[in-house]
Amino acid sequence: MDAARLRVEIEKRLASFKMQIRLEIGPEILVLFGPSGAGKTQTLNAIAGLMTPDAGEITLDGVAFFRRDRAGPAINLPARKRSVGYVFQSYALFPHLTALENVTYALWRQPEARQRGSALLERMHLAHLSHHYPHQLSGGQQQRVAIARALAADPRVLLLDEPFSALDLAMRERLQADLRLLQTELNLVVVYVTHSLDDAFALGDRLAVIREGQVEQVGPIEAVFRQPASDKVLEILGIPNVFCAQVVDITPTGLQLDWDGLRLEAPPQSAAVGHMVRAYIRPEDIKILYPDRPLMSPVRHNQVVGRIVSRRLNSNFQTLDVSLSNGHQVEVSFPTYAYTPLSLQSGGEITLSLRKEGLMLLQASPVTGQ
Amino acid sequence: MIWPPLTLSLQVTVVATMCLFVVGLILALALARCQFPGRMLVETLVNLPLVLPPSVIGYYLLLALGRGSPLAEWFGVNLLFTWWAAAIASAVVGLPLMVQAARAAIANVDVTLENAARTLGSTELEVLWRVTLPLARRGILAGLILGSARALGEFGATLMVAGNIPGRTQTLPMANQMVLLMTGLGFLGLWWARRLERAGPTRVAGEPPPPTPPFTGGALAPPAWRVNRGN
Repeated sequence: MDAARLRVEIEKRLASFKMQIRLEIGPEILVLFGPSGAGKTQTLNAIAGLMTPDAGEITLDGVAFFRRDRAGPAINLPARKRSVGYVFQSYALFPHLTALENVTYALWRQPEARQRGSALLERMHLAHLSHHYPHQLSGGQQQRVAIARALAADPRVLLLDEPFSALDLAMRERLQADLRLLQTELNLVVVYVTHSLDDAFALGDRLAVIREGQVEQVGPIEAVFRQPASDKVLEILGIPNVFCAQVVDITPTGLQLDWDGLRLEAPPQSAAVGHMVRAYIRPEDIKILYPDRPLMSPVRHNQVVGRIVSRRLNSNFQTLDVSLSNGHQVEVSFPTYAYTPLSLQSGGEITLSLRKEGLMLLQASPVTGQ
Repeated sequence: MIWPPLTLSLQVTVVATMCLFVVGLILALALARCQFPGRMLVETLVNLPLVLPPSVIGYYLLLALGRGSPLAEWFGVNLLFTWWAAAIASAVVGLPLMVQAARAAIANVDVTLENAARTLGSTELEVLWRVTLPLARRGILAGLILGSARALGEFGATLMVAGNIPGRTQTLPMANQMVLLMTGLGFLGLWWARRLERAGPTRVAGEPPPPTPPFTGGALAPPAWRVNRGN
């Protein structure tokens, strides 16, 4: 298998915490996700050779970019020799060069630079703007020039630092699609830093959750969301509705939980009867029941009556805080267009169903065959 | 007679400007981009001619160039009372102006742009030549003009190290009938430097593009030699 493989294992003492990152990245898009200041950009800088870790090793296909440990000679390849494309958060286009000159920057003194640059700009749908200066381009256009420039020297690795954060939604979606296409076309190792979950879902094959310089969890993005490894990951992913419950019964079809007087049914997961466990349910997995309609099977379980405490509207979804009969509060969210026949005002009483499949225990691996 | 002092002044100023460019640029780069012990000391020393009376500068230059100095003793070069001494004195008093402006312009170039160039395969020298200097060119030029204008008008230190020998070291400021010409030259130099500074530092990456729809051809217009190239 000649697929590129990037191994990163670095340590760096920073002002507020110690960074210890371990990642192994194949030809895929790995999303580094976490709050700002968690060390995501530093990780990219270390890979690109713009930051020198205190210790560790960075290799691409066994070739060392960086190595420093007790034994053996230290290696620290300068950034220019690493063949890593880097798309900076601020685009970092050279303001004194045109789009084409920016793209051909790395191809200096190469005879075919012009054709290659033009081809890349065309590939990014920018051929008509090749003689514009960066300040004459829109954010999305600058972004695409930056990607084209990073790809000009045929890198094996492409690093992107929140490149789409300043763009509007439509532009983001186009660029996300473009990037996915490029990754498969060129078989690139792509590391993508973001703190937008939308970006993460749209782009990522795998997700690495980073917090205070530590990798909290790595895995396929869906899996990380279904099974966050810890409270910290839940917190970083912004999943509310975490609670403590007691396992009262285990049956082949699932678990019976007692949440301060509320009986809940959860899918089969490893647990022991009588134990207190931490469980959570994502706000999207709580459904509102119409009082006058027959129940469909997915929402038969876990019906709870609650009172709406507050209601928040967003452009494409809305969120309710509902206080339940056991005194706790949960967050419920759903698309804006849903439940329009119901009047969902603060103080109103509604019936909820906590979807059984959405009720997950923390730090519990799913039982096979689920 | 006006011509000898005028040509001599030009000669001195041209040489002083070349010294200013080379020495000033190296100092500005070091001060803007490098962390080294004694950085503050270097900065203070460079700025010293701004506050010292010309006679004190002249005194130091006499020590540095005159009898007993390494230059005279070891290399047997005696520059005192030649126009070279006038050029050196002029360069020394112009240096702080050049270094200040150039350093500010270089420090203003976004390090991210330089890093981007590094990831694109540039050596440090290429980064300097292709990114840093082009982006700081306005400030460097403004500093050079200010420094040269100051060098042109240098009188005190020059008098001490070069004397006032008509035809040999008598420059414009010393030929005292040249008041109007000097004032005019000084005014032009300052006005040009001010214009360059008003045109503003080159926009730094990371800032959003400025909300200036009308292209006034002013601050942000690319230099004419780039735009008018027949593409």
